[in-house]
Amino acid sequence: MKKVVVVGGGVAGMQTALSLKERGVEPVIVERTGALGGKLRNFHLLFPSMTPAAEVLKSFTDQVASSGIEVRLNEEFSDFSTDAPIVIASGFNVFDARLKEEYGYGIYDNVYTTVDVERMFNEGKVGLKDGSVPRRIAFVHCVGSRDEKVDQRHCSKVCCITGVKQAMELASLWPDAEIFNFYMDIRMFGPGYEELYQQAQQEAGINFIRGRVSEASPTIDGRIQIKAEDTLIGRPMKMTVDMLVLIVGMRGTDGGKFYRPRDLFGGSVLSDRPNVFYAGAATAPKTVGESIAEGVMAAEKVVQYLNDGN
Amino acid sequence: MEIISFYSGFVIPFLVGVSVLFAVVVYKFGRWFVRLPVEDRRLVRKNFFSRATVRALGECFMECLLHRKIWKVNPTLGYMHTAFAFGWFLLIVVGWVETVAYLGWRFVPLQGHIFFKFFTGGEHHWLVMDILLWYVLSGLVLAVYKRFRSRTLGMRRTTKLTFGDRVALSSLWFIFPLRLLAENFSGVMAFWWGYSIALGIFFVAMPFSRYMHIFTEVPLIFLRRWGIRSGERESSFDHFQLEACSRCGICIDPCQLQRDAGFRDVQSAYFIRDRRYNRLTRRVADNCLMCGRCEGRCPVGLQLDTLRLNSRHTLSGTPADGRFEYARKITNNPVISNECEKSTGQTVIASENEAICSNSQSSSSHPLGGRGETKNSQLSTPRIGFFGGCMTLLSPRILQSMEQIFAASGDDVWWADRNGGICCGRPLKLSGDIDAARDMMQMNTQLFEAQGITTLVTSCPICLRVFREDYRLEGIEVLHHSEYIARLIAEGCLSLRDSDEKMTYHDPCELGRGCGIYDAPRQVLASVGELVEPAETRSEALCCGSSLANFVVDDASQVAMARAVGAAFEATGAARVVTACPLCKKAIGRTSSLPTLDLAEVVAEKLNND
Repeated sequence: MKKVVVVGGGVAGMQTALSLKERGVEPVIVERTGALGGKLRNFHLLFPSMTPAAEVLKSFTDQVASSGIEVRLNEEFSDFSTDAPIVIASGFNVFDARLKEEYGYGIYDNVYTTVDVERMFNEGKVGLKDGSVPRRIAFVHCVGSRDEKVDQRHCSKVCCITGVKQAMELASLWPDAEIFNFYMDIRMFGPGYEELYQQAQQEAGINFIRGRVSEASPTIDGRIQIKAEDTLIGRPMKMTVDMLVLIVGMRGTDGGKFYRPRDLFGGSVLSDRPNVFYAGAATAPKTVGESIAEGVMAAEKVVQYLNDGN
Repeated sequence: MEIISFYSGFVIPFLVGVSVLFAVVVYKFGRWFVRLPVEDRRLVRKNFFSRATVRALGECFMECLLHRKIWKVNPTLGYMHTAFAFGWFLLIVVGWVETVAYLGWRFVPLQGHIFFKFFTGGEHHWLVMDILLWYVLSGLVLAVYKRFRSRTLGMRRTTKLTFGDRVALSSLWFIFPLRLLAENFSGVMAFWWGYSIALGIFFVAMPFSRYMHIFTEVPLIFLRRWGIRSGERESSFDHFQLEACSRCGICIDPCQLQRDAGFRDVQSAYFIRDRRYNRLTRRVADNCLMCGRCEGRCPVGLQLDTLRLNSRHTLSGTPADGRFEYARKITNNPVISNECEKSTGQTVIASENEAICSNSQSSSSHPLGGRGETKNSQLSTPRIGFFGGCMTLLSPRILQSMEQIFAASGDDVWWADRNGGICCGRPLKLSGDIDAARDMMQMNTQLFEAQGITTLVTSCPICLRVFREDYRLEGIEVLHHSEYIARLIAEGCLSLRDSDEKMTYHDPCELGRGCGIYDAPRQVLASVGELVEPAETRSEALCCGSSLANFVVDDASQVAMARAVGAAFEATGAARVVTACPLCKKAIGRTSSLPTLDLAEVVAEKLNND
C-alpha cells in the first residue's frame, strides 16, 4: 500500500502522521526545511497559559521519532498528480512587514515584528539595538491583516492575543516602560484570552488605543515617531517611542491565499479532490491547539477514504 | 429640354426630416457659439484668418471623411467608417455634379438632387454613382456584422445603444439598400417611399442620437485649431466635445476597469452619453482612473479626462472657504516648521563631491539641460528643493534613497516635506474640489518662493503633474526625480555600478501619459541594469489600478487590476519591477511575485560609495 503523504512537518502535519500511524496507516512527512516543528520552532511562550513552545514541540518530535514515522527533510513536495492520499499541512507564511513600508520595518532601527520578539526571547537578547532598555514601546495590531491595501482581507485571528501576550512579557521584563497597543478591534475569542486581556490592562498597565498607526518616521535622536488617530476621542496623535513592534498576520501558502476546504462544517479537512486533505493553518489562520485538533480529524478522514476501497 | 417637376408625394418624409435636422442643428450650434466664454470668442476672432483655419479644413477631410485615426486602430474598422462617411459624401458631391452635367446650371431643389434618378426617369445614369453606392453598402455589411461579431473588427466590446441611437441606426441601415432597390426598380413607388421615409426618420433622429457627431466634429475641429480647450470648469465649448462623440466604443477595450474589474457602464463613451443627456451621476463621473489610456485612442481627440474633471467639479458643488485654514497656520508658523525639522531631522551631509560637482557643472550642453544656474557665491543657500509628497512620505525607502543620491551628488537640498510643505493639491483637484486645491497650491507656492529655490525635484508624478500644469512657479524649474537623476548621470555627478540584472519598468500614468516623461527613467535604468519592456508600454502602459482619481472602486477591484499588471511584468522574465511613482510601487508590490522598487531605490543601491 502507498504511504500517505503529509505535506509539512509542523504541529498539524506531525499530529496527522501520528494519528494515521495509530490507526495502522503508514504516513511519510515531507518537510521543506531542515527540521520538524514548523512555526512552533520560532515561538517562545504559548498563550494563554504561557507554556514554553519548546516543551510542546519536544513532545511532538519525540513521539514522531519513537513511532518510526518516515520523515523527509529539505524536500519540497510538488507531485500533486499522484493518486496516493495527500494531507496538505503547509501552514502559513508570516506577512512580510516590509510591504507596509510606512512602518519602516527593515529601514529604521528598533522596528520589530512579533516573530522577531519571540526569536529575541528565545535567544535571550531582548532589547534595543544598542542594548539599552526602552522607555516607551508601541505595538501595532493588524499589520497585514484586515488590510486590503496589501491584499490581506482576512483577520489573522491569533495576532490580538499575541500582541497582548508580548506586551505583558515586555512589561514584566521592563516594569518602568510605558507600553501602548494600537488596535482596530480586540478579538479575544479563545479560552482564557479575555482574562489575559483584562490582566494586561488592570495589572500590567498596558495602554490600549483604538486607532491604526498611519506611519512611522525616525527622529533626530534615533527614536521612532508614530502618527495615529485615537478614534475613541477622535483626535490625531503623534507619539515618540523607542521600540515599535508590528503584530504581523498570516498569509496563505497557496499563491498567497489560503487553501479552500470543501465546506466549513463536516468537510473542513476535505478538498475538491477525494485523495487530498487539509490540516491546520493551510486553510485559515488557526491556533496551535486548533491545528493539532485538525490533524486528528484529517487522519480520521484519510482512514475513512482508504477503507472505502481506494 | 423639358421642364422637370421636382415634386412627388413621396419626398415629403425626406423634406420634413431635413427641415427638422437643419433647424435643430442650427439651434444647437447657435446656442453653443453664443454661450462661448469671452476668451474663447476672442480666440475665434484672433485666429479666424490664419493658417489654423486651413489646417482645420485639412483635418476635417482626414478625420471626418477618411477617419484616419480609426484606420490606425483597425483597418477593417477604418474601412467601415470611411465607406459610410466618405462614400456618402461622394454620393452627394458626385450626384450634384451629375445633376449639373445633365441639367446645366440651374436651380434644382434639394429633393431633385437626392431623388435624381426618379425625376429623370432613369434616362441618365453614371456608373460611378452605382459604384459609390456599392461602396457604402460594403461598409453597411461590415457595420451589421460588427453589431454581432465585433471582435473581427478589432473590438471586443461595442457601445450599448440609447433609444435615439437605435432609431437612427435602424433607419440608417435601411437607407442604402432601399436606395439600391428604388434606383434599380424605378417604377416601384413603394421603394421610393421607403427610401424617403428612411432618410426622414434618420434625419429627425440624428441630432438626438450619436450621429450628431457627423456635424459636430466639424466645428469642433475648427474651434480646437483656433486654440479653444475645455478647462477645469464646464464651459459651452464642452458641448462641441460631448456631441462630437460618436460612441464608437474604441475607448471601451483599453479601459482596465472593464477588462479587469468588470465595470461596464463607466467608460468615456458612457460618461459622455450620460452627461450629454443630463443623467450623469457621481457614481459614473467618479469611477475612472484617469489613466489616459482611452484619451490617447479617441479618434475624435476628445479631452476625456478634462471633461470628467469639470463634471466632478460641477457635481461636487462644495465651496472651500476656510476649510484649510489650519494648514495655513502650519505653513506660516516658523516655530512649528522648526519643530518638524527637529523631529525628523535627517540632515543631508554634504560630501566632498559637492566641491567637485557644483563647480564643474557644465551648465547645459547636455540635451536634458543643466541643473539650474550655478551661483558659486551663494553656495550656502539651498537651490534645490525636494518635495516627496504624501505618498513618498509613506514610502520611506524612497526618501532614504533620495537622501543617499543627494549626498552623492553634492547638491545642497531643502526638504519641503520637513519644512512645512503640505499636500500638492492634485487629489483635491481630481475630486473636483478645485477651489480647495487652489488654496493648497497657493500655500505651497508661497513656501517655495520664500525659500528661493531654483529647482524643485519631486519623486511623485502626481505632484509633478500639478506643479507643471497648475502651479505658477516663476523661476523654479520643476523636475521629476528620474529627470534629475538622469542629469546627474549625464553630467558625471553620480558614479553607478552597471549590472546585467534584468529589470522591467512600469510607466506611471501621471508621469508617462500625464507629463510625457518616458525616456529619463529608461536612461537611468539602462545605466544600472538591463531593461526589458512589458507588452503594453510607454503611452500604452497599463495603470497600476490604484489611481487617486478613482473614488468608487474598492480595494478588491484595485487588486484585480494590479494582478493583471503584475502578470504582464512576470511575463517579461525580469527579476524586479521598477517604477517611478510611490503609489504605483505600493499598488503593484502588494500582489506581485517580483520585488517592486522605485527608481531611486535601484539607483541608491548601485551607488559607488568610494
